[in-house]
Amino acid sequence: MEKNVLVATNISKSYVGVRALDKVSVTIKEGEVKCLAGENGCGKSTFVKLMSGVELADKGEGTIVLNGREIDKSKHNVISAINEGIQVIYQDLSLFDNMTVAENIALNKMIKEKRKLTNKKEVYEIAKAALEQIGVEMDLDAIIQEISIANRQIVAICRALALDAKLLFMDEPTTALTKKEIERLLDIVRALKAKGIAVVFISHKLDEVMSVADSITVFRDGKLVKNMEKDEFDVKKLVYYMTGREVEYSHYERKNTSDAPVLELKNMTKTGQYNNINLSVRAGDIVGLTGLLGSGRTELALSVFGLNPIEKGEICLNGKPVKIGSPVDAVRNGIALLPEERATQGLLLNKDMTDNVSVAILKQMTNAVGILNKKKRYDLANQMIKRFRVRIPNADTLIKTLSGGNQQKVVLGKWVASEPKLFILDSPTVGVDIGSKSEIYEQIQALAAEGMAVIIISDEVEEICANCNRVTVMFQGNIVKEFDEADMKGEDAQDKITEAIHSLTKSKAGKESETV
Amino acid sequence: MKKLKASMRSDLTLTILVFFTIAILVFLAITLGPKVYNGRNFQSMAFQISEFAVLAFGMGLAMLLGGIDLSIVANANLSGIMCAFVLSNAAIVASLGDGATIAIAVIVALVVGTVGGLFNGFLIAKCSVHPIVATLGTMTLYNGISTASTGGNGVSGFPKAFTNLGVATVSGVPVLFIIFMVLAIIVIFVMTYTGFGKKIYMIGENHTAARFSAINNEKCIMIIYAMAGFLAGVSGIMISARVNSSKVGYGDTYQLQAILVAVLAGISPSGGKGKMAGILLALACTQILQSAFTVWQFTPYSKKLIWGVMLLAMLFVNKIIDYLDTQKQKQLLDLQLAQDAE
Amino acid sequence: MSKMKDSKKKFTFTTEKFLILIIVLYCIVVTCVNPGFFSAATLFDMIKSSAGSMVVAMGLLLVIITGGIDVSFTAVAISSGYIATTIMMNTGINNIFFGFAIAIIIGIVLGLINAVLIHVTKMEPFIITLATQSIFHGCLTTFVGTKNIGSVDIPTAITKFGGARLFTMTDEYGNKTGLSIYILIVIAVVALTWWIMYKTMLGRSVFALGCSAESARRAGFNSWKTHLFVYAYIGMLGAIYGMLSIGGVNACNPVSMVGTELTIIAAVIIGGAKVTGGSGSILGTLLGVFIMYLFNQTLVFLGFSSSWNNLFLGVVLIVSIVITSYQERRKNRRLFIFTE
Repeated sequence: MEKNVLVATNISKSYVGVRALDKVSVTIKEGEVKCLAGENGCGKSTFVKLMSGVELADKGEGTIVLNGREIDKSKHNVISAINEGIQVIYQDLSLFDNMTVAENIALNKMIKEKRKLTNKKEVYEIAKAALEQIGVEMDLDAIIQEISIANRQIVAICRALALDAKLLFMDEPTTALTKKEIERLLDIVRALKAKGIAVVFISHKLDEVMSVADSITVFRDGKLVKNMEKDEFDVKKLVYYMTGREVEYSHYERKNTSDAPVLELKNMTKTGQYNNINLSVRAGDIVGLTGLLGSGRTELALSVFGLNPIEKGEICLNGKPVKIGSPVDAVRNGIALLPEERATQGLLLNKDMTDNVSVAILKQMTNAVGILNKKKRYDLANQMIKRFRVRIPNADTLIKTLSGGNQQKVVLGKWVASEPKLFILDSPTVGVDIGSKSEIYEQIQALAAEGMAVIIISDEVEEICANCNRVTVMFQGNIVKEFDEADMKGEDAQDKITEAIHSLTKSKAGKESETV
Repeated sequence: MKKLKASMRSDLTLTILVFFTIAILVFLAITLGPKVYNGRNFQSMAFQISEFAVLAFGMGLAMLLGGIDLSIVANANLSGIMCAFVLSNAAIVASLGDGATIAIAVIVALVVGTVGGLFNGFLIAKCSVHPIVATLGTMTLYNGISTASTGGNGVSGFPKAFTNLGVATVSGVPVLFIIFMVLAIIVIFVMTYTGFGKKIYMIGENHTAARFSAINNEKCIMIIYAMAGFLAGVSGIMISARVNSSKVGYGDTYQLQAILVAVLAGISPSGGKGKMAGILLALACTQILQSAFTVWQFTPYSKKLIWGVMLLAMLFVNKIIDYLDTQKQKQLLDLQLAQDAE
Repeated sequence: MSKMKDSKKKFTFTTEKFLILIIVLYCIVVTCVNPGFFSAATLFDMIKSSAGSMVVAMGLLLVIITGGIDVSFTAVAISSGYIATTIMMNTGINNIFFGFAIAIIIGIVLGLINAVLIHVTKMEPFIITLATQSIFHGCLTTFVGTKNIGSVDIPTAITKFGGARLFTMTDEYGNKTGLSIYILIVIAVVALTWWIMYKTMLGRSVFALGCSAESARRAGFNSWKTHLFVYAYIGMLGAIYGMLSIGGVNACNPVSMVGTELTIIAAVIIGGAKVTGGSGSILGTLLGVFIMYLFNQTLVFLGFSSSWNNLFLGVVLIVSIVITSYQERRKNRRLFIFTE
């Protein structure tokens, strides 16, 4: 008889600023490989945090049953989760960088056993035993800092095995891995399954997911939208459930007639990040730059914004090569970047609206001797509040009291105020509610219509399709496919882009499955 | 009135400080009266406080960035000593005369102080050294240069015109105090009303976001530490003029007090928060207490105890204010989320 | 096989190697200038005078590895030492172990106060301990006294302890020198610290907390316990430091010691401990303290007065931190971590 390792019913979680999870129910069986799919901010990571006891689920309704026993939701913590055999391998792996492989594998087990002392021999034994379970050999004395990401991943898995994991969550485990390493990892997952360990995979890479999972659970906007069993797997359906199409966004068409490029990237190369990138963006273009995590798109954007020194190649603005060594240079040249991490890179959370929208253009807010013009700053803030319909009591309100969508509008306002010629938006609608999402789309399209050159970096194919008149797909640092305006007008553009994003990994996975 | 209320609420720390200062002033007026509140005492306070007050402003600047400047007293002494070397050099005095010598000495001290500060800024901004470690290193270095060049002895024998500066008054107000007030007003003005000041607050609040917003963090940090160094240089000159000599290890207690005054003024040790004008109040508050302690004949050690307790208490008060703030903001946010959901 | 691996290992430029290089070069230069430098007397002298700093540096090392800092340890040292000496005098219990016990209890209590304040308020340990330093020392001097206990009044047990030697030898001029028993205490504390750091889970939690507080939490470490331990530990070692220096000068002045804490912190940082936490080594720390005393005591052999001490120390400190911080900065930039 199959036993359930975890049964969660009607679990909710709210954070300051977002309702991350809304009455979600998930069941995981022994030896099952399940995948949690969904876009950024859909709630899947939150689910993992609740199950592993890193955070507490909301009070009220909802139950968690582990290994057949219901647990007290308000007292669930890391230790009790570990005792129940729940292990999480976070995206950052949570390893101790300055310690050795052996120690990283053995430490958690020794904590669980409430050990007071450690000794090298025992640490080695635990580590060796765990490595043997998955049939891997590794230098036990190596310092984590000095080994490859793939090997760190294996260390993290072994650490979980040493703790007699019954249920293993893996958050985006393949992001930083090469194809070969991914295969090795998937083999390990299959080996775990054979031992009766349930594995929950959280991944964007659909082909990988489908090659190894028994079932897929799709999250969207904090809700569970679909449970799929192995026999129902289908890329198109999966994409449909992940993105959801009930909201129709107006499609953008370029009206501008000038064909002179605003931005041209020529043979841009940076070892290990991106390779020989050529890209041009005209005024009025909204170019979608997409690809899986680790495809080099964010690294490329940071290079254009002066935060990631280029090794080879050239950036041309309006036909002239420019040297951009810092964001100061970038803004001087009319480039703006809405960064990926809103809270840490985009906003000054403890400052008010006025400070946040004027931070990039303080020079324009001052007179000849550098004295700030208070009225100018307030006018700007109020103008942006109006323009972006930011729901905020007044311009003196601290940004941290706004919801995600309103916060993102403030970041938009900040850059629009600098009147850029080129605007790069990295994941502009992550953690943004649906209402604000379409408002943000409208604003972006209006900006492009006025003649701004825009690049949108996004995971969401739907977002790309709605807003972009051209699309560039990257994979492991290379541009693998480009869609021009005609391509984008086609009915099946969305499917084709999805295919392009996943195609390379898919063909490889297909080959592998033949050989298996 | 409404506006006042709003601004009071928006800066609770400063408001508390204002009330606290007033309470102390009134309390001392009642208990000690003319023993503290008399013209002579005010004048002597003004003499004593200037050199320290300038340092407190330097420390406040560094703390606004979320940093700290442990080298500030060492830098002041080094500048003072360099200034003293010029002043006590008979050859220079003989060939140039008093006026030119003093001018050169002052310039030397200011340059030494500024370069010392700039070096801190360089270590912190360009080499990513943690501010505590960087300024601990330069503190050791500057003290080292001072001791090595003087053998640990005082340098004295200044022209009369220079030491007169230390005791001179303009209609009762010491010249040193006037210099301090001018500098304080400039610093307060720059930090409150200019774009540069704004940038410093931004960097202190979140240096990554500031960098992503096209602020030249590294340049700003260098300038701020150079400013702190310049103020240390001024302080060094003031000490030389007032004490009529320069010596390593002078004003060792200023370090702790400068941090205390900055924290008391509401400048958060993690940066980005607090008003420079608060330092004036905090200085007034501590100085008046200082002279009350003298009247009560407290030992320097009891004073130290009281300063320590005040520092800790102030940290707690700020912590509580922060906590209440967060609670209030959570409510605001929930309100907005509810609106969003509609 | 394993041999092959070792030979392949790249030579890495560690702080320890840098420090050893400096010490060796310095000693060569000094010996060339003044061969009298190389004597047992110099070495013994240095061991005795550096013993206290070595002991407290071990505690400081643990605190810094957790990502904290403590500037109150000198106040702890003199407070516990002075109170212990006073109690010994008042009760008439003329026993050095009794004195140590009292001092250590006081030291631990004061350390725990630091730990509670730092853990509960979650504020910069530097500022908190700066405040407690004033408070501890202020309490001592206000409520206990500021009277210097001179060599005449000090309990004979302390005098005996301070003068005790493992062995004594007489050099050619008839001067008697010997190795102070202080070295035993240093060895014991170093061994204890090593054992805690590498052989206990508590020690591992110290590293883990400094590496990444979040990872440590996920692994199930209790940061509260770790904080209590490290600050209590430096409190205890601070107390021993106090007793050693009282014995060393055979007098107890309640206004001494405080003000020297930054120099000892500088020595630990020279030794490679990172103030952001997560790394630091016992050998490096000992070398850092050793260099400090080496300059302190031997600059005279080079014809410099002892007032050059800070200059040399400052230069070494700045060079070593610039090297490590700059490497770290370049690594972080590659990972898009923009530290200033």
